[in-house]
Amino acid sequence: MNARQMIRGDVLWLAGWLASGAAVCFGAEGPRKNFVSCPIVRDTASVPCWLSEYDGELYYLTIQSDVTSPVTPPWLGHRVLVEGTVSAEPRICGGIVLKPVHLSVMPEPDASCNTMLPAEERYNLTFEPPRPPGPSKGRLAFDNAAPPRPAPAALPPTKEFVVPYDFDALVGFNHARVLTDMLEFARAVNAQEIEVVGYRGAARLSNGQVMAEEADMGKRRAEQLAVLLQGANLKSPSYKVSWRDESAKATGVDDYAMRRAVVTIRASAAAR
Amino acid sequence: MTKWQSTLLAVWLAAVFVAAAPQSTTSSTSWWSPGQGTPLPEFATYDNEQGQLGVLNTSGQLDTKGHPFFEPIGTNGRACITCHQPSDAMSLSVRSIRERWTATGGKDPLFAAVDGMNCPNLPSDDPRSHSQLLERGLFRVALPWPPQRPDGTPIDPEFTIDVVRDPGGCNTDPRYGLNSATPTISVYRRPRPVANTKYTTHQNFGVGPFIGKNGMPASVDPETGKPTSMNLMSDARAPTLAIQADDAAKNHLQIAGKLSGAQVARITEFERQVYIAQVARRDAGSLVEPDGPPAFGPRNLAADDAGVLGNNTTRYVFPLGGKWAHLPRTADETANVRNASRESIARGHDVFMFRTFWIKDSMHLNSVGLGNPVKRTCATCHGMHMTGMDTANGWMDIGTTNLPWATEVPLNPWTEAKPQMPLFRVTCKPGVRPHPFLGRIIYTQDPGRALISGLCNDVGTIVMEQFRGLAARAPYFSNGSAATLRELVDFYDRRYNIGYSDQEKQDLVNFLGAL
Repeated sequence: MNARQMIRGDVLWLAGWLASGAAVCFGAEGPRKNFVSCPIVRDTASVPCWLSEYDGELYYLTIQSDVTSPVTPPWLGHRVLVEGTVSAEPRICGGIVLKPVHLSVMPEPDASCNTMLPAEERYNLTFEPPRPPGPSKGRLAFDNAAPPRPAPAALPPTKEFVVPYDFDALVGFNHARVLTDMLEFARAVNAQEIEVVGYRGAARLSNGQVMAEEADMGKRRAEQLAVLLQGANLKSPSYKVSWRDESAKATGVDDYAMRRAVVTIRASAAAR
Repeated sequence: MTKWQSTLLAVWLAAVFVAAAPQSTTSSTSWWSPGQGTPLPEFATYDNEQGQLGVLNTSGQLDTKGHPFFEPIGTNGRACITCHQPSDAMSLSVRSIRERWTATGGKDPLFAAVDGMNCPNLPSDDPRSHSQLLERGLFRVALPWPPQRPDGTPIDPEFTIDVVRDPGGCNTDPRYGLNSATPTISVYRRPRPVANTKYTTHQNFGVGPFIGKNGMPASVDPETGKPTSMNLMSDARAPTLAIQADDAAKNHLQIAGKLSGAQVARITEFERQVYIAQVARRDAGSLVEPDGPPAFGPRNLAADDAGVLGNNTTRYVFPLGGKWAHLPRTADETANVRNASRESIARGHDVFMFRTFWIKDSMHLNSVGLGNPVKRTCATCHGMHMTGMDTANGWMDIGTTNLPWATEVPLNPWTEAKPQMPLFRVTCKPGVRPHPFLGRIIYTQDPGRALISGLCNDVGTIVMEQFRGLAARAPYFSNGSAATLRELVDFYDRRYNIGYSDQEKQDLVNFLGAL
């Protein structure tokens, strides 16, 4: 390799590194913002909106809607892990819009997170929220977003279910649906084996810090899912439970996807 | 305390109870004694301080002679009817309890030692031994520690529990307490109405194999294998009417052996067809006129759909059908008073349905995807069409039993009042997440659902109750801490810093009293 080739190679490497760095920092749509901060709730003439400050800037996270919302609001009294992408949308409630955004309520209480801002005319919503702050108009806010899929003609012999988690979290209110799906499938195919793999993840923050989940989180996730399925009287299949640590893979891009468990349900031989 | 002081206190307590009883100080004629054998009509009405309650048997007049709900089938003289009186909305008001004490000198089976006393080891003829029952309408509920699964195997709880205060003496008693040979925790709770049960046992919206509030497996009906709403009891320990009947027969009636299948069937059959609701209200008059609001009266309850979400403007929780919002005034003063009262009920409905406030730090509400705080209305939690219960598994902590919100006696050098309720210190074990709103150490008068589930997040959570027949069955909340509907409203106002106006409070009270 001559000097020209070496320089060319370095340039290509540098370009590649910059590109990957840009992907980390900007993603496909806009810059990523990953941080842990106190949430802030701001009242409006309609539903309140949720914000958070990071590095001297105010970010809009979500608004209050109902339990069907894909992004559920954080909690005062706790810090929140924000993993979002800066959107080109106009500010909402005074905050730069992060969209998409993933929010994880940090488990430990933090009494310093207590900011409630009053409504201000200039920050009122410029759109109709999916759900008013009181009774609905007869439908859940996001139920129409995903129409039910038609039932397949025949069930596959094996099906994989991915269970997503908030940071450092186990099963919560938002898991009832996927657990029910698993249970129904397992019953329908007279499941012989259920394999559960729990994963421990991490989040690379915008300040460069890598925040790993608790060391045994993958194990706890896997074991808990097995216990819950057995607790729902799914006792006849054999269970294979294992866990993996993927916390070293955090890049700052979609790290939330690492926080998961994968449940593979295999039908009995007779049902295959 | 000297013997003389003790005697004086007993006399004073008796006097207070007599004074608190209604004008007719004799036993209420509406009291239904076990085994009295009279038929229960297809439709009966019972007067109460706020108007009149209606009791509907959709199967028609019931012959109670020999019926296991009405006969003293246990060993202590009680029947189910003892604590589920028709006049008291199939529950039991403290007013009726006090009347029975006065009428029987405390000899009514109602005051049985097993749960009608603060602890069975106390002297039975002393009203102070029954203070929880006489003052707040509370029965002792003795639960095993650690909690047990339905098959009797122990659950490893996420927390340890210590007795901080034990005014009844039962939790520290060597025979009945936490450190006894059979470790037991005694909590004190109100009996719930045994009526409108198609709502309390529905299997409709929000009921699935996994609980929508925490993802845990729901209790199933062992007869059908289907998940239940778990909304029957304050701690959801009995998922079906049949299991509740067995539980009550054993623990409250002290039955020898077990209910027979035929007895269970008759009891639950009766419970499935009886409906209660207020049918008239002083000033407002009849609530069940043919063209009246469809929310009111037991017939509307019997006819409507169970397990329907009503926190919306299509079904409503309590549908008024647009009636009573604006009524005319005429030269007829009686009609004007009635119309003004009905308008107040309609305004109370609107406060319930549309008056927003910040709901904060309430476990199983703020933790289920709505955020903390959430700006919503009463109907957010009390969303089930026609009853105001939760459609999903409905235990929640609003602070009725957990400190710092639970009602406590103010201690100071100028009062002789003593705390009534026990106090427990719950400590979430290392390795378990702290309670998100109360931290790792929680002080509570009643750990509620946590005594069944063993979960830290369930400490102080209580299954919310139906809003029917409220006028007939004071006091309110599972621990009887609100003596009146006004106190109930005041609790919410304090707990959530709502800032209701006096008018809003009065309208809410009138609305709740009409249900």
